[in-house]
Amino acid sequence: MLTEVKNLIKITFLSTKYAIMREMENKVAFIMNVLFMILNNASFILVWVVMYSIKDNINGYTINTILLLWGIASGTYGVSRAFFRGAYELSNKITDGKLDAFLVMPKNVLIQSILGVTPSAFGDLLYAYILLFISGITPYKFIVFTLLLILGGIVDVCSAIIYNSLAFWLGRVDSLADSLTGFVTMFGTYPDTIFNRFVHILFYTFIPVAFIVFVPLRILINFNITDLLILLGGSSIIIILACIIFYAGLRRYSSSNLMVARI
Amino acid sequence: MKKYLFIFKTEFINSLQYVKSFIVGSLSLILIIYIYLNLWNFLYSDPESLINGYSYTQMIWYILFTETLWSCIKGRKIVRDISTDVKNGNIAYQMNKPYNYINYILSKTFADFTFKLLILLPAAIVLGHILIGNIPNFNLLGCLLAIITGILGTMVNVLICISIGLLSFFMEDAAPIYWIYSKVILVIGTLFPIEFMPEIIQPVLKYSPIFAMNYGPAKLFVDFNYDFLIKVLISQVIYLIVFYIITNLVYKKGVKNINVNGG
Repeated sequence: MLTEVKNLIKITFLSTKYAIMREMENKVAFIMNVLFMILNNASFILVWVVMYSIKDNINGYTINTILLLWGIASGTYGVSRAFFRGAYELSNKITDGKLDAFLVMPKNVLIQSILGVTPSAFGDLLYAYILLFISGITPYKFIVFTLLLILGGIVDVCSAIIYNSLAFWLGRVDSLADSLTGFVTMFGTYPDTIFNRFVHILFYTFIPVAFIVFVPLRILINFNITDLLILLGGSSIIIILACIIFYAGLRRYSSSNLMVARI
Repeated sequence: MKKYLFIFKTEFINSLQYVKSFIVGSLSLILIIYIYLNLWNFLYSDPESLINGYSYTQMIWYILFTETLWSCIKGRKIVRDISTDVKNGNIAYQMNKPYNYINYILSKTFADFTFKLLILLPAAIVLGHILIGNIPNFNLLGCLLAIITGILGTMVNVLICISIGLLSFFMEDAAPIYWIYSKVILVIGTLFPIEFMPEIIQPVLKYSPIFAMNYGPAKLFVDFNYDFLIKVLISQVIYLIVFYIITNLVYKKGVKNINVNGG
């Protein structure tokens, strides 16, 4: 069991390393993608500058809270897209029969099909740390922030796996899956306190943005054991659910006999 | 002209194949309106009060109008398609066809835009009525004229997107330029009217393409008057001519540099 996990981590690390090396072949384009993504994200701060010029507190959120909210949202987005791009394209792989290539390999199907690198997502990741720096960085905050980003990123990936796995039962669902993953990103960049109770229930269930952004934000600002338990419990459920749904769906998968060269 | 009408017609019929997918994809429009409805609800402690000259109802209708136009155009796709044409050499086949490449992209994009506007605009108007009631000082002719200026403003936007896509002749990846452009337009003019920006930059913005693209048409929609209509139309005609010339110049300079290897 332990050897299997070790092998899984090793293959994930190697695949990601080679994918990054491939993207880095054109260094100028890679750096441009990263830098422009940082600028792209920074333009959203203007929205909040305008909002806070009208009122200095939006239902408990100060400008500093918004910076941290954006830091976590951008960081979890960065972790998920920088290393697991495949999870967001999974529904196409299912409907087009592109899982065949992963099924014949002697490694974990799910992990292999969700790996993939998005160069611009490294810009999102860097931007998260820039915001942490602006809002006031300490060694403790840096460590907690990094752990929260990794966990939040994994939950984001798992929610994408769940949405995209619907393709096993419903056929082409790329638009629906894109919309649902977009909802997670969109809700995660606005204060949760402006929404009503019904929307809060959605945040803990169908659109699990609470475990990706809002609970980590509460832990970062004011650590308490209840929030930590909620985060660990909720995240574990989503991770387990993603695996169960994917493998249940995989039993229904049929090949399209697609002939493609994977280079 | 006949050939471009034919391209328009063909693309329009083609768009009809993707009605379901488009409707699911448009859920994000409802979401963004819902988020801003909640956000402005907190900022307007008194719904009758004015912030920078706009009432709560006007602000929500303003965003509803600009976001609807924005959702009908996929600028990212225009840039990506042109970049792909340039990178894979497809542009060489387009060059010797009996049409102007810029006009071809314009006709194609406008067919898609018309299809989406015919679905989204009535839906947005119904949504607005359900959420916040009537358009302030409703005037049917005024609304129709505002919608026409909205269409002309979108043409300016499309021409700018084409110019950005054509930058692929000179750089590896034009997408990052589009990210910055789209975010500037989103923050200034789409989510906030120019009056919400710092006073020092307001005069510059009123002479910028933002005035012609989204601010002018949306302001007419929520607060119609003929003097303002004339100003918006003049700026739109000027910017349409300017960007049409720029787009053609970039294209001509780009095709001189083209070097396609076999195929």
